[in-house]
Amino acid sequence: MAINLKPVDVAVVGLGAAGGVAVLPLARAGLKVAGIEAGTWMDPAKDFKPDEIHNNVRGLVTTVPKAKKEIPTFRTSPDAQARQGATHPMMNAVGGTSIHYHAQSWRLKPWDFKSRSETIKRYGASLLPKGSTLEDWPVSYLELEQYYDIVEHEIGVSGKAGNIQGTLDPAGNVYEGPRQREYPMPPLRTSDYLDHMHKAAKSLGWKPFHAPSAINSQPYRGRAACAYHGYCDRGGCHVRAKNSTCFTTIPEAQKTKNLTVFDKAQVTRIVADGNGKVTGVLYIREGKEYFQPAKVVLVSSYTYENTRLLLLSKSKVYPNGLSNNHGQVGKHYFGHWDAQAGVGVTALFPMDVNTWYGAMLSQGVVIDEWADDTFDHSGLGFIGGASLCTYMEKHPIAAASMLTFGRAPAWGSKWKQFVHENAGRFTGSYLQTNSFPYENTYLDLDPEVKDPLGDPVCRVTSGPKDNETRAAIYAQNKMEEWYRAAGAIEVVKGQPFGPALSTHTYGGTRMGDNPETNVVDKWGFSHEAPNLGMLGGSVFGTSGARNPTLTMQALAWRTAEHLAKNWKSIAG
Amino acid sequence: MPPDEISRRAVIVSAAIIPVAAITATAQQTETALSSTQLRILAAFVDRIIPKDELGPSASESGVPVYINRALGDYLAGEKAAFIEGLEATDALARRTQKAAFADLTPDKQDALLTSMDNGTAEGFANARAFFNRARRLALEGMFGDPYYGGNKNFAGWDLIKYPGPRLATSQDDQKMGVDIKPYHHSAYGENHGH
Repeated sequence: MAINLKPVDVAVVGLGAAGGVAVLPLARAGLKVAGIEAGTWMDPAKDFKPDEIHNNVRGLVTTVPKAKKEIPTFRTSPDAQARQGATHPMMNAVGGTSIHYHAQSWRLKPWDFKSRSETIKRYGASLLPKGSTLEDWPVSYLELEQYYDIVEHEIGVSGKAGNIQGTLDPAGNVYEGPRQREYPMPPLRTSDYLDHMHKAAKSLGWKPFHAPSAINSQPYRGRAACAYHGYCDRGGCHVRAKNSTCFTTIPEAQKTKNLTVFDKAQVTRIVADGNGKVTGVLYIREGKEYFQPAKVVLVSSYTYENTRLLLLSKSKVYPNGLSNNHGQVGKHYFGHWDAQAGVGVTALFPMDVNTWYGAMLSQGVVIDEWADDTFDHSGLGFIGGASLCTYMEKHPIAAASMLTFGRAPAWGSKWKQFVHENAGRFTGSYLQTNSFPYENTYLDLDPEVKDPLGDPVCRVTSGPKDNETRAAIYAQNKMEEWYRAAGAIEVVKGQPFGPALSTHTYGGTRMGDNPETNVVDKWGFSHEAPNLGMLGGSVFGTSGARNPTLTMQALAWRTAEHLAKNWKSIAG
Repeated sequence: MPPDEISRRAVIVSAAIIPVAAITATAQQTETALSSTQLRILAAFVDRIIPKDELGPSASESGVPVYINRALGDYLAGEKAAFIEGLEATDALARRTQKAAFADLTPDKQDALLTSMDNGTAEGFANARAFFNRARRLALEGMFGDPYYGGNKNFAGWDLIKYPGPRLATSQDDQKMGVDIKPYHHSAYGENHGH
């Protein structure tokens, strides 16, 4: 029998980038919150090393690796046999993947929230991606702006505004939506390489700017500034300059005494009563099963696990999974077309560019003219595009594994000579393509593969799409133009094939006004179970051409604030 | 959820926890994964990937076989059997086509065999290409990874590609172009690393 725990007001499932933010407004409002996390606390001095084998080769910046035992299966079409991936892209820890992410912290564009209606208005419905289930979001950029602002200041984001209340500043991103005020910190420092690329972009008439990032460019709220040591990718920050939720909003919430963190606690089911309301969650900790009663449950366990938990939580009222009486849980899933999806571009320069040290994408320079609907798509056959980013940080094993551009063999003395000369002369770029949901891209439970508890793992069905392929290739050509303008002597473009398992995945519990096609309403609460809220990328209806975390966090804050303000009507 | 379902799950959970502890215990042992014969094949193999020349020492002089041997004994224990099979198939290929052990062949003949494995034409060795790529990848990890793991002895790998070392903090000068950065010869784990 499960051990019954003392009831709380809100149970938050997963204390990562989204759940770790939501706990703060809840705790400040005086609600008693149980933060239930499968991983545990990490220690920067012990766990975060400048060690490529630990961080990148073995992926060990993680604690209780629950995720590794429930890696989703993947297939590119509903007819294909799904195979289990080799690694899970996410991790379990207090702070979650905000510990080892690249920390680029973007606001989505106003267009991202109404891509469907804007496309129809500007180009006609024929340009909508064929087979897509694209809808406008039920929330606009302007409605979300105040929450972006709150989160940028609460966690600490470094950047340069390009549009303050309609006043444009070319030192920032002039294509961003209007913001009420400047970032709390200036961007991370520049470098010779970034300056070189900046100048090249200007020579093309483009408007380069420094990436916004949740990394301190200067000391902020008692935490240190970035040390630029070059082990940000898949590593935690040894000086706590990366503003992971375990160093920011979670400890802030603990100060109120209203948040209790239950670590190493693996949630297995969300329990619902005969009236369709949720009553709490079941979790396993060190071999024992507990029931945590709660008046409201917020699920923030990442896109794959959000969907899986709902589908596994069957009951009398929800025979096909919690909040799934409309058959929408798992639908409208999509992954981000980015460098991991074959969209990256690599270049070789005739001189050392010295990008060894740095802070990954956060110490980067970005071009936004070829993303979203910034340019005219008439006659192009696709909507969207990609942001282009080149950056600082390169690790030695990855550097020695560089492409040889047909100039040398891949081993032996001639190869040694090649990497001796060129390991310091190549750079990569990160192209994030606007990606959309389709009728045949979805999540469900795998019919065969199970986790150690005997529960099916998540199955991902997501194949290549013409719209995204065209947009990615268009953006790759722009990236090549940029590299050539900077003097690159070789440029190699990836073959866009579409995303597999990824840290940028969306949908499955999409947000929208129509309960026939969406799982949650405009506030993030279930259309069916009124005291169940969903947080994270699983509620997104479009990806934007940039990293999702800040938007997840702004939405998480908004959902939590809405709950606190409407406590009686939601908690009942 | 009915109570019987809950208790069934609790039993499964208790059972599932034991193997995890066992795996952790195995990971802390540093047994030798490869025999001396297998290590000899491995050294000959990785020394053709990263030979000794005017640019610096060979893979085996830099501890690459130590790295691979240790990894196969702990973190990569799951692929030890397949790796040994690949090493032995490489030696068998040499004995079959060159009438000698792989390690006893001239460098030119070793290169010819490795090339046939690399391009998938090695006679009677079906997984040659996959094994070649895996062994090459592990050689790079050993040569260019932190010396803590047994390879990259005397920082030979980092010096070869001019990686300036894992400093804990860097200045804007450390990110300048066209300037030689003084190498920082330290392991992330201090001086007490694996040699």
